[in-house]
Amino acid sequence: MKSLIFLLFCIIVKINAQGNTLVLLDNQVIRETHSIFFKSLQDRGHTLTFKIADDSSLVLSKYGEYLYENLIIFAPTIEEFGGNLSVDTVTQFIDDGGNVLIAGNSVTGDVLRELASECGFEVDEEGSFVIDHLNFDASDEGRHTKLALSSENLIDASVIVGNKKSIKPLLYQGTGILTDSENPLVLPLLIADSTSYSYNPDQPIKEYPHAVGKDTVLVAGLQARNNARVVFSGSLAFFSDEYFTSAVSRKQGNLKSDKSGNDEVSTAITQWVFKEHGQLRVKSVTHHKEGEKAPPQDYTIMENVVYTIEIDILEKGQWKPFTANDIQLEFVRIDPFVRTTLQRKPNGQYEAKFKIPDVYGVYQFKVDYDRIGYTRLFSTTQVSVRPLEHTQYERFISCAYPYYAGAFSMMFGVFIFSIVFLHIKEDDKKSKSD
Amino acid sequence: MVQAGSKKTQVPKLSSKTGISSLIIFVVLLLAWIVGFSSRLFAVIRFESIIHEFDPWFNYRATAYMVKHGFYNFLNWFDERAWYPLGRIVGGTVYPGLMLTSGSIHYFLHLLHINVHIRDICVFLAPVFSGLTAISTYFLTKELWSAGAGLFAACFIAIVPGYISRSVAGSYDNEGIAIFALQFTYFLWIKSVKTGSVFWAITAALSYFYMVSAWGGYVFIINLIPLHVFVLLLMGRFSNRLFTSYTTFYIIGLICSMQIPFVGFQPIRTSEHMAASGVFVLLFAVGALKYLQSMLSKSEFKSVVIYGGLIAAALVFLTVVLLTYAGYIAPWSGRFYSLWDTGYAKIHIPIIASVSEHQPTTWFSFFFDLHILAATFPAGLWYCIKNVNDERVFVILYSISAVYFAGVMVRLMLTLTPVVCILSGIAFSGLLELFLREDDNVRPEEQEDEDQNTPNKRQLYDKAGAGGRLPKIKHDQSKESDGIGQNIRSIVTIVIMLLLMLFAVHCTWVTGNAYSSPSIVLASYGSDGSRQILDDFREAYFWLSQNTADDARVMSWWDYGYQIAGMANRTTLVDNNTWNNSHIALVGKAMSSNETAAYDIMTALDVDYVLVIFGGVIGYSGDDINKFLWMVRIAEGEHPKDIRESDYFTEHGEFRVDAEGSPTLLNSLMYKLSYYRFGELKLDYRTPAGYDRTRNAVIGNKDFSLTYLEEAYTTEHWLVRVYKVKKPDEFNRPRIPVANRVIKSPNFISKKSNKRKKGTIKNKPVVVKGKRLSKNQ
Repeated sequence: MKSLIFLLFCIIVKINAQGNTLVLLDNQVIRETHSIFFKSLQDRGHTLTFKIADDSSLVLSKYGEYLYENLIIFAPTIEEFGGNLSVDTVTQFIDDGGNVLIAGNSVTGDVLRELASECGFEVDEEGSFVIDHLNFDASDEGRHTKLALSSENLIDASVIVGNKKSIKPLLYQGTGILTDSENPLVLPLLIADSTSYSYNPDQPIKEYPHAVGKDTVLVAGLQARNNARVVFSGSLAFFSDEYFTSAVSRKQGNLKSDKSGNDEVSTAITQWVFKEHGQLRVKSVTHHKEGEKAPPQDYTIMENVVYTIEIDILEKGQWKPFTANDIQLEFVRIDPFVRTTLQRKPNGQYEAKFKIPDVYGVYQFKVDYDRIGYTRLFSTTQVSVRPLEHTQYERFISCAYPYYAGAFSMMFGVFIFSIVFLHIKEDDKKSKSD
Repeated sequence: MVQAGSKKTQVPKLSSKTGISSLIIFVVLLLAWIVGFSSRLFAVIRFESIIHEFDPWFNYRATAYMVKHGFYNFLNWFDERAWYPLGRIVGGTVYPGLMLTSGSIHYFLHLLHINVHIRDICVFLAPVFSGLTAISTYFLTKELWSAGAGLFAACFIAIVPGYISRSVAGSYDNEGIAIFALQFTYFLWIKSVKTGSVFWAITAALSYFYMVSAWGGYVFIINLIPLHVFVLLLMGRFSNRLFTSYTTFYIIGLICSMQIPFVGFQPIRTSEHMAASGVFVLLFAVGALKYLQSMLSKSEFKSVVIYGGLIAAALVFLTVVLLTYAGYIAPWSGRFYSLWDTGYAKIHIPIIASVSEHQPTTWFSFFFDLHILAATFPAGLWYCIKNVNDERVFVILYSISAVYFAGVMVRLMLTLTPVVCILSGIAFSGLLELFLREDDNVRPEEQEDEDQNTPNKRQLYDKAGAGGRLPKIKHDQSKESDGIGQNIRSIVTIVIMLLLMLFAVHCTWVTGNAYSSPSIVLASYGSDGSRQILDDFREAYFWLSQNTADDARVMSWWDYGYQIAGMANRTTLVDNNTWNNSHIALVGKAMSSNETAAYDIMTALDVDYVLVIFGGVIGYSGDDINKFLWMVRIAEGEHPKDIRESDYFTEHGEFRVDAEGSPTLLNSLMYKLSYYRFGELKLDYRTPAGYDRTRNAVIGNKDFSLTYLEEAYTTEHWLVRVYKVKKPDEFNRPRIPVANRVIKSPNFISKKSNKRKKGTIKNKPVVVKGKRLSKNQ
């Protein structure tokens, strides 16, 4: 009986391994039209809770604890969330470390626009589509809004989108996204071709489109400073069963495939956004003088120091040593005094050996590993570097030997002089008194 | 002559007279000590036994460290909590005499199992040493003039405000012991010049060594003594006594002073010390010439002197110039230049000029600190010039140079005070001698004894002056008669007594009211005379020590660095040891920039908290806004492209915080931190909200919020405000502000209410309930 309960518990844990996810929908139909997408999530261990986005009983947190780790908003036309949800609660959810996947379309509602702006992107005006008169799919209905995209348009980061080379062409239909160019955290995951623009296909073009060519972002990502991840797709159809399964054929560049790459890419993107991929952590940091084991109270200038750091990556729910050859260590006192690449040792640790500069002060060992797609790895360890103690200086300096000789000969001379002086004094007195 | 009178007549007197006179001397000195000690206790009685002000907090912290870790660890102490992230080598940048003195007192008391806390030793060290100063002043004056003048001088120095200002209980600073060392060194030097003995010269050098270990003002000694020797040479007063004492003093003193790590090689490598070695060489040259003079004929000697002198002078001058150019001798330091040109510091080294005690002295403070002594000491100087001899030349030079330096800087009032006391002592004793002498001649011996009792009693009440009179009354037996009438004598005597009494009253009043505030605890008086204690500083520091991480870094203006380190035990960026101007300028730049620019500096320096002093609520004038222009000036000195002083003034060149103030000022970090939420505060019903009592103005920028900082703590009277600097993580997602958005969306009006919690979905598919077709149709 007990073992059965344990087994059951294990299963529950396994199922819950990726945490709870709240899925907000426009209507229940979406659940059916995107069933492959949801299925793949559930297969990976996510527990999905489906709700209609205007449901008046919506809550993200209870008693200060979040009920969900991830949030999927597949409700492009939502104007206002029901229940406790609002732009503020969702942004708070992001600030507290929650991950959000949002999909819009050409009629994206205001609340999603607001949410997007909070994260550093903007959704183009209502009714606008990304239009490309050259790179449309064969199945397009004449408005040239159903784009067939080469996998070259994906961001150059295998952690987020998977192996770029092997991915089949992608299908996309929806609005364009503008990103804040000054925001260093925003990642354009998928961009449109240079021939595309974003505008309302039913209206004559009067103004210059907001997004033109490669500036038109189709799927945008954000890794916030607290490592919460947000993905905003301008197309809900991108994740649909229809697009997952349909064939792609484009005249321009002769792009052809029996099955689109949407399935693969959306799986990779969800794996990234829900932190199944690309999560790093610092397991341990140690530093000590060369030839010693424990860190000293403080270092002295010009000493040799050994710094070791262990970095883990989350793979399939387990922390494993991370392998890379571009992790650098800086030894910083306002400015870096030493910058060196950490060497990987056989046991998975990274090590750096260097000589402390001849400048005293309070230093920091700083490892700042910031690569696209990975969580930002930042570790500082403060140590103080003291000058030499009064006993640590050279005792006898060779260039001072003349002075030593001078001092000792002087002492000797005074000694002799005083003896002579004392003995002659008697005679002197006599001669004076004479 | 007067001195001669007091000394020679002692011989034929009865030995009981000598006994009585030494008893009187002893009693007067003891009383001077006790009075000096107790009048310095105002601060302890009115407030409590705490360390005062700024620098004493560092001295106390260093002393506590030394007592805890031992002397060698103190010498090697690298303080990583100061000057983050540069750190400070305390052992090499401190005059250790003060810490050693109180540390050894602590050690001896503990050997005797008197378990006194080191803080109490530190608090009471300066008052105790004031007694020693009085005694050494007595000895110095006695050597210069007479024992009577010495007693006067000792009593004066025990209570004179100019010295009390630096030595009240709790003012645990170098000056407290350095004035004793200064006076004692001078006494020993005079003694050695008089006797020409190697012994006294060596004791003078050792006392000089103690002075070097205690205070940077030792430079005054090592320039004044050579000056004395030089002037004596010019006056043709060369003697073997002078030669012996100076050469011995110089060499021993030089070697000893170089043992202090902070001084190191300065005595042979900086221009400030070159005068001493120049005089040393000159003394040898003169000695050699004197010897030659005894060997050569007059005409030969003349040519030797002229040519030899010229060649020697040229040689010495050339060597010094060459060594300076080669970099072996450092040129005069900026602090030294500012002694000659009062405007120098303001232009070149604002950090020195920014300290209030480095400002030129006003006439007011001469009177305030010296009272009648300021008026009487020229008389003493006149006496000395009239009856000049080797040692009086010294006191003349001392007084003239000290008067000059005291005029340049308020702080150097301290070096003037002792010589003023000495010369006033001489003046008073001379006056009383003149006006009491005939009394003695007229009166028979018995009456004299009677007379002796009266002032003795009076002396108990009027400790300042009366004591000094006694020995002279007895011993002056010269037959001269000035023909001054009895009435005039008594009037003058009474007037002098009154003056001295007024002096004593003034000293007590000044000590009690002006110099006994610990400045970390403020007192204010209500309309009904009740006293309120404002303990905001300690409140804030205690909050810091209890509520922040142990390694939290606190940025403040440098004035508060030592206090934060001493009371809150937190890391500071800059402190009162202003050794690194560019680091201070960086903090000044952060304070005077706008919030965004300041944030960049603060993150680069890993600042966790910012502390500002704001006096606008209680009208405390020493707050950061009033110091703000110095921050700007110091920052401008290092970053002239980013900070310009003129930006902080209005078009009319005024510095004002109200609505007419310059926008740069109203948006600077210091302004925002001082006045954050102040615009909402209405102090009383007569004044509008946001009325700054210190500057008597309604602030100009009332309604603003802080982006990169948040208020962490504000003390009861808003005197200290602590802000937390947000970490970059707290700016999680750079949002696009509404104004910068390309696509404007119409304002959405929420349809949710308390009852209706349902959201809205556009084009929501509605289930249309079909109507059943009527059968008829």
